[in-house]
Amino acid sequence: MSTPTTFWRLAGMSYLQYVNKASAVVVNALKEPAKSQALARMEYSFNKSVWEAGTQGKKVPMKGA
Amino acid sequence: MATTMRIAAQRASSRALAQMVQSRGMATEKQIFNQIQSTKNISKITASMKMVSAAKLKGDENRLATAKPFNLWAQSITGEPKVVEDADFSELPQKTLVVPLTSDKGLCGGINTFITRSVKEIVKKTSEEGKTVDIVVVGDKGRGQMRRQFGEKILVSATEVQAPGSYALTSTLASEIMSVAGDYDAICIVYNSFVNAAVYKQVYKVVTPFVTEGEGESLISYEFEPSTKSEILNDLGEYLLSSEIYEAWMDGAAAEQSSRMTAMENASKNAGEMIESLTLQYNRARQARITTELIEIISGASALEG
Repeated sequence: MSTPTTFWRLAGMSYLQYVNKASAVVVNALKEPAKSQALARMEYSFNKSVWEAGTQGKKVPMKGA
Repeated sequence: MATTMRIAAQRASSRALAQMVQSRGMATEKQIFNQIQSTKNISKITASMKMVSAAKLKGDENRLATAKPFNLWAQSITGEPKVVEDADFSELPQKTLVVPLTSDKGLCGGINTFITRSVKEIVKKTSEEGKTVDIVVVGDKGRGQMRRQFGEKILVSATEVQAPGSYALTSTLASEIMSVAGDYDAICIVYNSFVNAAVYKQVYKVVTPFVTEGEGESLISYEFEPSTKSEILNDLGEYLLSSEIYEAWMDGAAAEQSSRMTAMENASKNAGEMIESLTLQYNRARQARITTELIEIISGASALEG
């Protein structure tokens, strides 16, 4: 793969990581109360587990805001 | 002496009859009363669950209404979602990654069973054509149902997902899927689509990665700037997957709430019918008891007189 030219690739981020970070910056520029509502909407959490030959592995909590 | 013995015998026989009825397993008045009380409690719970689901459905429908136009651009690339029923899945390539979206909580009617059945159809029809599928299951109920049949096919599972979903959630899910989807030719998202408060259907959409050069090059009629086309197509591919999963997630959430609402309404209705028939049984048992007591009293009185 040739060297990337987009700055997020150069920083080692995927496009989705970049987009979510950028939208978090925009949300932080909002005034209250819209800001806290939007920040609450951006939260997520789930448990991920990798399966190995039919058995479930350990659950890893994934969380973010 | 003979009369008192006769009274005692009659009382004993009627009590023995009542005990015989108890030991034979026919419900006594007390047992039927307890059954009625617990069924009434259950019907209260199901009625309140239905109210809660109806309120949540409103929110989910609003989120779906904004998600659909958000994803419209993606549909012009991957096509509209196709109905699973009577589909032959012939357009799936050699190696597909199936992503079924199921719920974590139960008491939601048949949505998860239908999804599991759809995945079974996909596995069956693709294996007939010599193709392979692997599964990334989202949702606890789907995981539980699919581990028995497709345990070896599951790569990753995502459970205890916090509701309601958001773009942040689905972009994380998309990143996770892409990290395991390295050598798969396509990703097939299977989910329930909300039609109205009483109806939902199983649909699937196939997301294929963009071809950056050579034959079958994607988006050939467009000029790309400022970066090279291959870079932009990489980013666009990530965004396409996250957008498709976002719309699928919102659709599935609305379908789940509508299904739960219907299931709880049916449960309340059935509980009401049960209470009615139990009440009739209870009254019959109560009248039988009163009659027995009356017979005892009257036979005792007539024995004293006689």
